[in-house]
Amino acid sequence: MEQLKRILRASVVLAAALGIAASAQAEEGVTDTTIKIGTMGALTGPLAGIIVPQFNGIEIVFEEANAAGGIHGRKIVFVREDDECLPSKGVGAVKKLLYEARPFMIVGGGCSNAAIAQKPEIVAAKVPWVVTAATADALSEPVDPYVYTTMSAAWTEVYGMLQLALDEKKSRIAVVWQPDAWGKARIEPLKEALKKKGVTAIAIEEVAVEPTDLTPTALKLKALNPDAVLMLLYPKAAVPFLRDSMKVGLQPLAIGGSPLVEIDQMAKGAGSVEAVKNVRVIAAAGFGVDDPQVAKWKEKIEKRFGDRFNLYHMFGIAGGQFVVEALKRAGRDLTRERILAVMSTMQMSSDAYAGPLKCTPADHQCHKTLGIFALKDGRVSGVGSTTPTR
Amino acid sequence: MYSGLALVAAVPLVLSPYYVYVANLALVYVILAVGLNIVLGYTGQLAFSNGAIFGIGAYATGLLRLDLGIPYGLALPAGAVVATIAGVLMALPAMRLRGLYLALATIAFAQFTVWVFVHWDGLTHGTSGFVLKPVDFSPLPVTPPTGLLYLSLIITVACVALASNMLRSPIGRAFVAIRESEHAAAALSVNLTRYKVYAYGASALYAGIAGGLFVGAVGAVVPDQFGLFQIVLQFCMVFVGGIGSLWGSVLGAVLIIGIQEGMRDLKQFQEIGFGALLLAVILFFPSGIVGWLKTRVAGWSEPLRHGDRED
Amino acid sequence: MLLAYVIATGITTGALYALVAVGLVICYRTTGHINFSHGELFMVGGFLAFTLHVLLGVPYVPSLVLAVLGGGLLGLLSDRLVYRPLISAPATAMVVATVALSFVLRGVARYLWGGQGEYVPFPPIADPSAVMIGPIAVFPQQLVVVASTVLCMALVTLFFRLTRTGKTMKAVAESPRAAYLVGIRVERVYAMTWSLSAALAAVSAVFMAPLTQLTPDIGFGLLLKAFAATILGGLGNMPGAVVGGFVVGIAEAFAAGYISSSVQEVMAFIIIMLVLVLRPTGLFGVKAAREV
Repeated sequence: MEQLKRILRASVVLAAALGIAASAQAEEGVTDTTIKIGTMGALTGPLAGIIVPQFNGIEIVFEEANAAGGIHGRKIVFVREDDECLPSKGVGAVKKLLYEARPFMIVGGGCSNAAIAQKPEIVAAKVPWVVTAATADALSEPVDPYVYTTMSAAWTEVYGMLQLALDEKKSRIAVVWQPDAWGKARIEPLKEALKKKGVTAIAIEEVAVEPTDLTPTALKLKALNPDAVLMLLYPKAAVPFLRDSMKVGLQPLAIGGSPLVEIDQMAKGAGSVEAVKNVRVIAAAGFGVDDPQVAKWKEKIEKRFGDRFNLYHMFGIAGGQFVVEALKRAGRDLTRERILAVMSTMQMSSDAYAGPLKCTPADHQCHKTLGIFALKDGRVSGVGSTTPTR
Repeated sequence: MYSGLALVAAVPLVLSPYYVYVANLALVYVILAVGLNIVLGYTGQLAFSNGAIFGIGAYATGLLRLDLGIPYGLALPAGAVVATIAGVLMALPAMRLRGLYLALATIAFAQFTVWVFVHWDGLTHGTSGFVLKPVDFSPLPVTPPTGLLYLSLIITVACVALASNMLRSPIGRAFVAIRESEHAAAALSVNLTRYKVYAYGASALYAGIAGGLFVGAVGAVVPDQFGLFQIVLQFCMVFVGGIGSLWGSVLGAVLIIGIQEGMRDLKQFQEIGFGALLLAVILFFPSGIVGWLKTRVAGWSEPLRHGDRED
Repeated sequence: MLLAYVIATGITTGALYALVAVGLVICYRTTGHINFSHGELFMVGGFLAFTLHVLLGVPYVPSLVLAVLGGGLLGLLSDRLVYRPLISAPATAMVVATVALSFVLRGVARYLWGGQGEYVPFPPIADPSAVMIGPIAVFPQQLVVVASTVLCMALVTLFFRLTRTGKTMKAVAESPRAAYLVGIRVERVYAMTWSLSAALAAVSAVFMAPLTQLTPDIGFGLLLKAFAATILGGLGNMPGAVVGGFVVGIAEAFAAGYISSSVQEVMAFIIIMLVLVLRPTGLFGVKAAREV
């Protein structure tokens, strides 16, 4: 009897010890029923219009996964912090996330001005980070074990843009670009691409980030008679450019990057569909906003957030789906090592991109297939896709 | 005051690295606000250039560390010196201008400075800015953020003490004389130019020091950080604290940084929360917090505080 | 050719700045304060027009009228919430208060319209195809901007000269005390001032929206330009503010045209700096009255 009691006591103590050990080993940010995922980005400030839709896209994917019962019985809790895309606020945001909220991983972020200050903190804290829309290639190159990106690198888009011009047999290629962090991150790889293809641009023109009028630039270019213009611009600058170019009679093939994918909106801003008739856009998204492929997401976003569905939501959706899939494959025994291992060889298709998301241990830039868009019958339609190489 | 110091010093021991960072940021802005008050509150000059000088200090310190490999201990004072020189140079053409004209000229200078940060790529690394390694405090047994916090604390105390002394001295009296009436001051043989240069120089020195500490705390420098919005915020700190009151500036800086960080949980409604709270503060304390304290706390006196003006 | 285009652009943007500057000056002259949320009043006016015209399909002219009324109402609200309580406070309090108000307006605008995306297109009122004026092509919208600015200026001048309200505003501007003594309801006048100033900002927004971008963050930059125009023209001087606006607009256009587009922002301010160094009281300012 005494022996039995002793054994019982010992087993209870052992069970308790194992229980404590088990919960002590549970990964930070993971509980029995929840996975905490954090993000930081511009919730306020001039870049909020680009960043918040992404986060909404990520969140809508997480909410859908939660509604379907979660991932191996755990629901995702998504925590956002604001960095206004400035380093001083960004460091505060990332520290608050890492040391107060303590998420399992970070999904989002990537506004380069803040990200350059945030990356060292995240990597030092050994937290996995999936960047859903990076502007700086420096975030994902050289390869870092903790950092992945589901957004095409800057070089991918500009190589694609140049290739499109060359495929259309254009030889007098001009470039207009805006001298902010985003533009800078693209002009450098573009210059490199031009060199590699042995092409000399007939002009490389800088334009203000928020110009009211670009007639002088249009006139300057017209004098050089380009047959293609590569626009490293956001709509704020692209619309005046297209509008004023049409005004002075300059309408070459105009190739833009991701931010210009809403060609119909640009047409409205420029005042007429005529202004955008020669516009082609190489975008990280695979589909136009009205494409039936993304209709389900469009409806969900509009219902849940009241946003006008646009390509930034799509970036978030793709990133969100990537993460959900990775979490599923990592299994119930969820640790940061597991998910990093899963992501390092992951390949999957998302609803928002034309090609698969594919990562390798040597290459964490997982998104390589871009869509080509043009305005057809008043709608932005995909007219092809491309997987640029360098 | 000593309890305040003890509180700040205790932060790294008790609270998470996030709070260490916020405390550090608050100290940086205390130095900025105190410096701004010297030229704005005491000398009455509507100078909008402090944000740009702050930036020059930050860039100078940062670039010396990054491109020339100079250790932080030297880069910080060197950056401050560069900022001071810039501030004094800027002051010279400002001598002739008064009131809102001075404001406009200094705004123009500030815009120009940011433009230089963006476009002088070769020197400043352009719009994408640059990132730095954390400051190494070895052989001291502190982590970089903690070490920097203590360094900031020591420097802040020194700056406040220095300002306090200066303002109590004949220099301070000359500043106030200039503020109250330039003509009268000149009539009393106060050398306007010399004292204005002192005022701008002092404020630039403080801004430069703050810039260097800022670079250490944040670890990255981008031009966007130093636009005119920066100076508007600093003005608010000085006004909320109580213009022309040294301790007011300290209070104002801490309060506004505190509100900014405190509002984080409002997520996308932060701006509304911050604006509403700031509005409430100024509605309750129109003469600044120190202005209010002066009417409530018997015997509160600060030499040469900005008197209440009647219209 | 380039010169003609530069001048055309300069006049267009100059007209915009002039109108915004006049709103700022009216407020400054009557109340003695610079309204740091003036840019946000412009922005909200623009978004109001966007909501009415683009989202709800209301025709252009009623949208304009409603947006202006909305702007005026917002001005009244600001007066009640911000100015009235601080009437006898030091000037510094108003700076903080209007800055705080600008935050609130920006945050609200971001909440209401942020989901529209980072580019919000506003269709022009007139047929978008360019017309030829002499050697250059000009958008009808540009002409609309200039014409409406001139019209507004005329209306505002007539308002101040002929109407009773306008005259009482001028009286209060000269001396609030004297106005009190002759029985003018000074608080009412202040409310009207804020309202009128906001309404003018809304008008400029509606006309300029098709030519420029509409985001919650355009307020501050615009405020700077309006501020520059006001001071350039000599403080508190309405015609001066108008001329100042055109000077800033044309300076920007020249910089963009002859130097480089990316220089335009800073060029305006360089020019201002130079003007002030040469003429410290602005282009039209009277020498500062004896300040002893």
